[in-house]
Amino acid sequence: MADTTASLPGQTSGAMRLVRKLPPTAMIGALILLFWIFTVLTIQFWPLANPLDMVGRRLQPPSAAHWLGTDALGRDVFSRTMHGAVWSIPIAFLVVACAVAVGSVLGALSGFFGGWTDGIIMRLVDVTVAFPPILLAMAVAAMLGPGLTNASVAMVIVWWPIYARLMRAQVLEVKEREHVEAAIAGGAGPLRVLRVHVLPLCWTPTLINATMDFGQVVLLAASLSFIGLGAKPPSPEWGSMISEGATRFYSWWIAFGPGMAILTVVLATSFLGDGLRDVFDRRSS
Amino acid sequence: MLAYILRRLISIPFLLLGVASVSFLLSQMTKGDPLAALVPERQMSNPEIVNAVKAQWGLDEPMPIRYVRYLGNLLQGDMGTSFSTRRPVALDIAERLPATLELVIAAMIIGTAMGLALGLLSARFRGTVIDSLARIFALLGSSLPVFWSGLILLYVLSVRFSIVPGTGRLPPRVDPPPDVTGFYTVDALLAGNFPLFLQALSHLALPAFVLGWAVTGIITRLVRSSLVEGLSLDYARTARAKGAPERVVLVRHALPNAMIPLLTILGFTFAYLITGAVLTEAIFSWPGIGSYAVRAAASLDYPAIGGVTIVGAVAFLLANLVTDIAYAWANPRIKVH
Amino acid sequence: MKHFTLKRGLAAAFLASSALMAPPALAQGSDTLVIARSMDVNSLDPARAFCDTCQFYLTAVYETLVTLGADNKTLVPNLATSWEMNDDLTEFTFHLKDATFADGSPVEAKDVVWSMERLKNLKGSPSFLVDDLVSAEEVDPKTVKFTLGASNSEFLNKISAAYTGVINSDVAKEHGALDGVDAAEKDSSEPWFLENSAGSGPFMLKSYSPEAELRMARNDAYYGDKAAFSEVVVTQIQDAVSQAQALETGQVDIAMQIDPDTAASIRSPDVKTEIVPSFNFVYMGFIPGAKGMKDVLTPEVRRALALAIDYEGMLDFTVGGNGAQQAAPIPNGFPGTENLVPRTYDLEKAKAMLADAGATDLKLVAGYPNDNVYGVDFNIMMQKVQQDFAKAGVELELKPLTWAVWRDELGAGEWPVTAVYYAPDYYGSAQYVQYFGMIDGYPWAKRASVGDFPLVVNPAEGPLYEQALRSSGADADAAYAKLGQQMMDDAIILPLVSPNLVLAYRDDIEGVRYSACCNLPLAEISRK
Repeated sequence: MADTTASLPGQTSGAMRLVRKLPPTAMIGALILLFWIFTVLTIQFWPLANPLDMVGRRLQPPSAAHWLGTDALGRDVFSRTMHGAVWSIPIAFLVVACAVAVGSVLGALSGFFGGWTDGIIMRLVDVTVAFPPILLAMAVAAMLGPGLTNASVAMVIVWWPIYARLMRAQVLEVKEREHVEAAIAGGAGPLRVLRVHVLPLCWTPTLINATMDFGQVVLLAASLSFIGLGAKPPSPEWGSMISEGATRFYSWWIAFGPGMAILTVVLATSFLGDGLRDVFDRRSS
Repeated sequence: MLAYILRRLISIPFLLLGVASVSFLLSQMTKGDPLAALVPERQMSNPEIVNAVKAQWGLDEPMPIRYVRYLGNLLQGDMGTSFSTRRPVALDIAERLPATLELVIAAMIIGTAMGLALGLLSARFRGTVIDSLARIFALLGSSLPVFWSGLILLYVLSVRFSIVPGTGRLPPRVDPPPDVTGFYTVDALLAGNFPLFLQALSHLALPAFVLGWAVTGIITRLVRSSLVEGLSLDYARTARAKGAPERVVLVRHALPNAMIPLLTILGFTFAYLITGAVLTEAIFSWPGIGSYAVRAAASLDYPAIGGVTIVGAVAFLLANLVTDIAYAWANPRIKVH
Repeated sequence: MKHFTLKRGLAAAFLASSALMAPPALAQGSDTLVIARSMDVNSLDPARAFCDTCQFYLTAVYETLVTLGADNKTLVPNLATSWEMNDDLTEFTFHLKDATFADGSPVEAKDVVWSMERLKNLKGSPSFLVDDLVSAEEVDPKTVKFTLGASNSEFLNKISAAYTGVINSDVAKEHGALDGVDAAEKDSSEPWFLENSAGSGPFMLKSYSPEAELRMARNDAYYGDKAAFSEVVVTQIQDAVSQAQALETGQVDIAMQIDPDTAASIRSPDVKTEIVPSFNFVYMGFIPGAKGMKDVLTPEVRRALALAIDYEGMLDFTVGGNGAQQAAPIPNGFPGTENLVPRTYDLEKAKAMLADAGATDLKLVAGYPNDNVYGVDFNIMMQKVQQDFAKAGVELELKPLTWAVWRDELGAGEWPVTAVYYAPDYYGSAQYVQYFGMIDGYPWAKRASVGDFPLVVNPAEGPLYEQALRSSGADADAAYAKLGQQMMDDAIILPLVSPNLVLAYRDDIEGVRYSACCNLPLAEISRK
């Protein structure tokens, strides 16, 4: 993602202006996301119980000692929920980044070169998006065998076409602009034109979409884990924690924490994504 | 416009071929052993049984032959035989499709109704606390994982307070109504059995709400923004200038303006609902295609996985087609690529 | 505003539904027995089926020659009134009573012969019950004689398994059922058996819809005492809590898969719960033949690891203490288990043994099906093993898998530790030796060695097993006791938990019991 942030329109001062323009909800979203990122980076220093250790009697309701109670193995649910971020957040980053990378490259090639390249890539896109996302993800994850890695592969397969289409549409539009035509007339190679003159102007929709999708990826990853195709125990992944809680209705607290965690991430990304879109839409119109 | 629709229609068979090929290929790349569903764990080391099963299920033939046979059978509506139910997949799906459709349609009605209501509310009181609350409630629906909200609601409303009945489509002791449409609510009414209708409805209410809530967010956002846009248009100003109260302006002048985008987004929500239905069905033991898919994926029942993906893809394609057509029809100026 | 009316409407709908639920509106009379269960049906054809649901379905619809008495030990007459066998235990002769199939035709020797031949030749999952059958012949219409290839003191027990139920051959043949040697490939009757039945039992199949409902109707032409219920409905309810809830509200009469944790939360005075020991068990298996494990997972290391498991804690974690430890891979109460002593947890000794064996920094991987069976969540069970092993300095990585992938990786020896379960098909210990014995060619010996039999084969077990099959009564018990001890010393199969079974039913229901062969004998159940 490093190079995508670098190519944000405007530089540091532009970023500051952007922050100032963001609506308050988007700021809240950004803060929540920052909180989770902070959690991921620093969780090992938190004074929490080891998420894999038995720390008390099993299936105890929330108490002062265990804020969200204990699970069927006597592990602290609060600690597991916070540690869950270490699984869910980086995975979602990775999936979005891969989907953006794969989708954007293919979409850019498709839009820039047209013809056969465009035909093949877009038919591939058409077939992929013909599947309902969850069914495709389930089928791929099931066939590859359960596990977070395979679930991530499945999610990239589900998501790349969106970015391919976005990028293609952008490239098609930018390609027609004068400076690009001038560059081509000036004898620059096609890949160089694409890289230097076209791509830098195409990132905005992709970025906004990526922000919004981040939450959806967290959701889908949790869903796959929930039906047993994602994370493996004992890792405190949110979806698999909910699935452990699902068979123990009376111990509602097992599923409560991870559910709230997913909720905050998804809410935060849609707040932030909305805010970003508002700002850029206003700018473009 | 007509040419566009025609082009879309022609592309569908090719897409379906792609879909069928992809699901066949996926099943061939599988890491697991599909025999798992056919031979129980205790007999899997017995070569005699394993070979007999392989021969019986045609698993010992080379891949290209199986591919051609798979496509040929598909054309005749034969999706193969499920490894775990031992019945034709098409039959299993046909039996379960009405349950899913009933759930999805009910969810769509609830989602649209709630979306419209919340959208109206937040547009009417825009900028106030009511606006924020309505939008947050709507947004919650699309941000909550359905398998979690369903679980919590089931726990609170059913296990704790027995306000709604538990899982399934009807109480186990009750016979379903005579099969006409396959929708228990409709069939019960057709049979003139009102208590049965209420029972079917009470079982449908919670899962349909959970699923409908998931699409409320999208609809509310859309309704609100088109209403707000409509309120700022000239005719709304004129109406207001003539002394019409805000409520009337909203409902009579701005609301029709929101209907067209709403129509076009319903196709999109339908696709969204298919996704949600898989998980909702799993939570509520709803005997539809979603729970079938989850079971099939877990047991690597690839005829069943293939069948479900193909049926899902057909539904998805149709929904997208309808959306695109509606969109093109509503915005004739927009050139469709 | 619209919003509020909608809310009110929903509330009204909820209220209406709760009013309806209070006294459950019964569309069917008290003449119907409703059972909640998560069904695992793989087939309803006796010769193909192999599942816990099949056991009680087949028992209700088809009848076997002999069956297991209520004491879960004694074999009692069923279709056969009496039987004789030769001293070698290779020839068994049965005399049939005057029974009739549901269509009124008599049960004759030809049906018995045909059903047994078919069971054998179909090479279905339960075919192993008759795999040593050399011939089945009709002596006269009411007498049938089986000849076995080798002595088998447990043959009678084997044919008490529900899968050996006698089928009305004339009817089945009309629908594509075959009994010849080509049956495995040519028999086309499986779909027919999913919609019909052809047995002599007190019930008949009425309808079956996978993962939703299995309906049986009373066989009103039954030759013996007719069943108390005119209809039995097995309804699919996935999880224990939902089953308990349906039971408490009276929507079902019996819930079959309630775990002890959930049973404890049942408050309704109208529900009876009984906790009884079961013959099911969940075990962990070592696979020394797995990749790179040949010199690592030696017998000494395996025995040390077996001592590192906190068995009592395991019982508590997996089933809340509602279960029993089991010594050898033969369930408690089966022949030969009486004097076997379960392993005890001894961390210090385990550490010392591991150190002696030079097994430091041991890292193992456990691949197991991601499943929840008999109230035991495999993930929870294996996480407990993981924690226990960690205390002994052994790192265990967990790989929960779908069954399909599990099988694949098991066959390839991908990992050295696994976990599975076993429920008996009949009362008798031979099935366990036949499955878990470290004897050349036997299933678990093959798995544990990944084909390299000498790695695990225990030469003492083969002769002991032959001896057990040749003898009967106390002699056989003694042989099984020795086999049990040998299998414990092999330390390949470590039984972890034998979970108790919860019988949960409405208090107006009587006659509910757990049977080792047949799970839940439906014909014995009635309403007060």
